[in-house]
Amino acid sequence: MEENTYYNRRNSKDEIRYVGRWESEYPKRLLTISNPPAGIYVKGRLPEEDRLTVGMVGARMCSEYGRSAAREFAGALASAGVQIISGMAKGIDGISQREAIAAGGSTFGVLGCGLDVIYPVQNREIFEKICERGGLISEFSPDTPPIARNFPIRNRIISGLSDILLVIEAGEKSGTGITVTRALEQGKDIYALPGRIYDSLSAGCNRLICQGAGIALSPSEFMKNLEVRYEKLLEKSKINGKFDENKHCVLRTGRNKKNINMLEKKEKVVYSGLDLYPKDLENIALETGMNISEILEILIKLELKGYIREEGKNHYIRF
Amino acid sequence: MFSSVSSGTLFGMSVYPVQVEADMSDGMPMFELVGYLAGEVKEARERVRTALRNSGYRLPPKRITVNLSPADRRKKGTSFDLPIAVALLKAMEALPDHCTDGMMITGELSLSGHVKGVRGVLAMVMEAKRNGFRRCIVPMQNVREGSVVQGIEVYGVCSLAQTAALLKGNEFPVIQEIPEEEPENEGKDVRYDFADIRGQKVLKRALEIAVSGNHNILLIGPPGAGKSMAAGCLPGILPCLTKEERMEVTKIYSIAGMLSGTGLVTARPFISPHHSVSAQALAGNGASPGLVSLAHRGVLFLDELPEFNRAALEIMRQPLEEKEIRISRVNGNYVYPADFMLAAAMNPCKCGYYPDLSRCRCSDTQIGAYLSRISRPLLDRIDICVEASRIRMKELKSQKREETSEKVQQRVEAVRNLQRERLKESNIFCNGAMGQKDIARYCILGKSEERLMESAYDRLGLTVRAYHKILRVSRTIADMDGEERIREKHLCEAIGYREIAGIF
Repeated sequence: MEENTYYNRRNSKDEIRYVGRWESEYPKRLLTISNPPAGIYVKGRLPEEDRLTVGMVGARMCSEYGRSAAREFAGALASAGVQIISGMAKGIDGISQREAIAAGGSTFGVLGCGLDVIYPVQNREIFEKICERGGLISEFSPDTPPIARNFPIRNRIISGLSDILLVIEAGEKSGTGITVTRALEQGKDIYALPGRIYDSLSAGCNRLICQGAGIALSPSEFMKNLEVRYEKLLEKSKINGKFDENKHCVLRTGRNKKNINMLEKKEKVVYSGLDLYPKDLENIALETGMNISEILEILIKLELKGYIREEGKNHYIRF
Repeated sequence: MFSSVSSGTLFGMSVYPVQVEADMSDGMPMFELVGYLAGEVKEARERVRTALRNSGYRLPPKRITVNLSPADRRKKGTSFDLPIAVALLKAMEALPDHCTDGMMITGELSLSGHVKGVRGVLAMVMEAKRNGFRRCIVPMQNVREGSVVQGIEVYGVCSLAQTAALLKGNEFPVIQEIPEEEPENEGKDVRYDFADIRGQKVLKRALEIAVSGNHNILLIGPPGAGKSMAAGCLPGILPCLTKEERMEVTKIYSIAGMLSGTGLVTARPFISPHHSVSAQALAGNGASPGLVSLAHRGVLFLDELPEFNRAALEIMRQPLEEKEIRISRVNGNYVYPADFMLAAAMNPCKCGYYPDLSRCRCSDTQIGAYLSRISRPLLDRIDICVEASRIRMKELKSQKREETSEKVQQRVEAVRNLQRERLKESNIFCNGAMGQKDIARYCILGKSEERLMESAYDRLGLTVRAYHKILRVSRTIADMDGEERIREKHLCEAIGYREIAGIF
């Protein structure tokens, strides 16, 4: 097989095992979908049947808004003991899973290639860590390269393994849309993160909300909704007991609000003009009326203090 | 009878003397040219024969041999026509024997006997002076560039007949002094004025800093943001050439044959090649300097940087580092000066709209592929990297008077003078040229500035190279503020112009 730079790093094949549909270990959730795979390759564990699973999906090219929302939701859910299912792709998938691992939760990656193939390479560290508390799942045999047509196919497993699908950021037409369609066919609950109507990356989410999807306003709100419907599963999930709603479910953007008092007056002016969407230097100058050297000084100081970040050359966002 | 005349031929940036020897003896009538000659030199035979006849001289039916010595070096160009004709006239005894002593002659002949301009006259006259010649005869078309050299008499001639008359009389007329001071910045290629550009404060500021310190600059922005237009303003804000610089630039343009009858070049060159340019055209060859040398002491502007041929871009590594370009060809090794400021413009991705995700249609693999067309070593040599954003309607409609290029240029001039004064001992003249040692010497930071750079180094993940770039640029910004010490605000601004890892 020809080596390709995008996936030439390989996982070891040692721990990969095959679980057939006839075996008791085969996930029950998959048995109920219309075309379950005949068997799946597994590395690490499989999702526990009596714990709640949430599928987190979204765009690969995501904005900082999607990125920080994915982090907040994944972190809160994972701390609450919810199992996170995702596709290990770049963008929202990888961010959610990385955060879930960091929060000490369990997360499961459903791949569109063989389990020994690391794709995309940017997520290599997730591949290395995920099996400690979660696992990797694929219906494709080891050595299968990441071919584009396999990825939509595996989406039905992502939705199939999830009790709820949470869509973070998605364009009107996207791969995420396929997962949502599968989830609807399988009768899963869909939640979407609301966004601004002008953002093409939020268009898909807003459309879902318009069509009746649940609105993921904040992690705590989302958790409350889950408690109503999935009381039992959630109760089981909480057995590790370390979940603290006040600690994990408060929006982190709120946390920064306190800190703004620490800033100098001019810093405040510049900071308050920024949000989670990249804003360019020229625009900031136009709005604040300060000259470029003055603004750059403030921006760099804010960046060094960790308030903002440069996203693309001379585009700044809150951090 | 044997005769000999001194001339010279171009070899890269230098001229080496050539002795044109002619001999007429009895034998089968023929006219032979020897001396490792290129095609155009061999063809001189026909031009010289006809030009002589049309000037009233008839070649005698003798065995005529002309040799260009040293005979083992390749002779190129058309500048041997006139010296060959003069050597023949001497051999025919139509001219007195010692009339060409201490004299260097160059020029092309037309069939009618007129003398046409040639390339590299300035270099030739300089070489003549170095070798102790007292006089030069050059084509009238090139007399202004030749007269730039002091301490040697330069005569312009229009025709072979005039040359012969001049040499026969052996009475050389007193040369009219050509006014030494040429008008400043004549022939400046000013496409746009800063006053024509609405808004774009960031771009203007960055360009002013770049020009003030001679820093290489990269402009990134969506299509239609006005990157090219802003770069088109550069000629208008570049400082005037100093006397020595004029000499250098004029010499290059003279060798490239790009002086159209003018004397010294007074405006800084602004070279903006199309992106289909080849590596050879950029580098130059044995016959003429390339674009990097034509941009010497000026600006080389590369619009749509990623569209350039990779090999062409890599060519610039050496000149950017060593300020000259060395070319090795079959006929020898050539060194051309190439000390230019690089300005480049590019889109952030293929469609041009990244990081505006609602408009950008590229996947991040595509963005990566687009950016990877520019090599790391080239980026390492760029000090300032800045984003140009789309102009807003509000600014477009604004009636506010924008600052003119002239005003900016005056400021730039002042800052350059400041730098020249400070850097005199290091033998450089602008902050952009500071090496590691110079940075340690001239960019001394106070305690709080030191702390700022430390935290920037850690937090922003700077490399050592980026660290030095920031110091260089902040030195220029401090100079623009008229401050001897680099302050926090200068450092911060310089940090804002660094190229960031997220992009590359």
